[in-house]
Amino acid sequence: MSHRFENIKELKKDFISVDFFFNECKERFKFEKITKHEINSETIISEKDIHRPGLALAGYVDLFTFNRVQVFGNTEILYLKQLSETERQKTLERFFSFKVPCIIITNNNEVPEELILLAEKNEITVFRTPYPTTRLAYFISDFLDDQFSTQIVIHGSFVDVYGVGLMFTGKSGIGKSEIALDLIERGHRLVTDDVVIVTKKGEGVLMGSGTSLNEHFMEIRGLGIIDVSTIFGIRSIRYQKRVEVIVELEDWNKDKAYDRTGLDSTTISLLDVDAELIKLPIFPGKNITVIAEVIALNYLCKHYGYNAAEAFKKKINDKINEKSLRNKKFTWNENYERSTEYFEHDFE
Amino acid sequence: MIEKEIEIVNKAGMHTRPASAIVRLAAKYKADFFISKNGFEVNGKSIIGVMTLAAEQGSKLTLKFFGEDESELSAEMIKFFEDGFGEPR
Repeated sequence: MSHRFENIKELKKDFISVDFFFNECKERFKFEKITKHEINSETIISEKDIHRPGLALAGYVDLFTFNRVQVFGNTEILYLKQLSETERQKTLERFFSFKVPCIIITNNNEVPEELILLAEKNEITVFRTPYPTTRLAYFISDFLDDQFSTQIVIHGSFVDVYGVGLMFTGKSGIGKSEIALDLIERGHRLVTDDVVIVTKKGEGVLMGSGTSLNEHFMEIRGLGIIDVSTIFGIRSIRYQKRVEVIVELEDWNKDKAYDRTGLDSTTISLLDVDAELIKLPIFPGKNITVIAEVIALNYLCKHYGYNAAEAFKKKINDKINEKSLRNKKFTWNENYERSTEYFEHDFE
Repeated sequence: MIEKEIEIVNKAGMHTRPASAIVRLAAKYKADFFISKNGFEVNGKSIIGVMTLAAEQGSKLTLKFFGEDESELSAEMIKFFEDGFGEPR
């Protein structure tokens, strides 16, 4: 394998700011900011897990994971409510002696006055959402998991062909962008060209997208930079796509053995996820665009349970087995058997 | 492999003109060339990639060269960066 995939550096965010978290989540998860002060731009979230601080409020703070997002559900709020005023003040003072990133109140619960005052005093932002705790915990975990997931940057063109994410890689100048352009012209959709950010989503899914800067710009040798979305319009682009097949383009090398049957599918591991790898030799006059479409359609066939190479293999094997069992009465060469045995007045 | 940390010295940063000059320079050689900024690595032979770095004056980049003529490419490329792409500082 070329070093393009070997020496790749994995990127990971170390933290996100609470400000960013709020802006991304306020519409998605219906966040309402309860505290009056501006969000301190230096407050950060550095953990992808969330924490329900029930035990910390009750007084057990030895293992309090205070650097996580703190979620106050019904239990926490009801617990605070049943305390006497002085106890509630004491409990919350102890809680706010830890530098928590932010607090989320679920179920649109009423927030105790003391909590708001102490949060404002310590410059900790409190959000409120109508979602119940378990739903919110699921949403936020997924969001933070995505934010803190590992990413790699790959030099390639990434196109959605018939709904299959095909990523073309290969050395500079081999014609990745030209193939992408040809596919766009035939009605397929460009995700990104030249810089593909691949993110591992959950376990086993790779998502590819462009960067905020290069989105849908493309360089064509001899032409310069073009904007695919203005030239080909909205139908020609998309923002993200699952990475399904990696097509590595290389110059035709007559001494190299290429896959001829497709029975042994090769995979490549990106971020510990296996993606199908196809090494495609190219030479002038070879129509890579049509081959790319066939790669996508063949992938779909396999995905829906039909593997052409396997089917052909089975047909041949069945024939061989049948022949060896049959007693040899006839002498003609069965390899010349036509697919149609009798052209019965059908001369089309 | 040759690896070199380098700072952008010219005032305008690595804008379109220097970016296209870098790509043209790199394309003359066989060796592979990568530029990274804060861990974000792009292929130095791709104009879109190089421009996407949006490297301003004072930003620190890592240049990486692999391949047979890596020493010639790196010498010429590093000099081009150190000269501030021939632009005012």
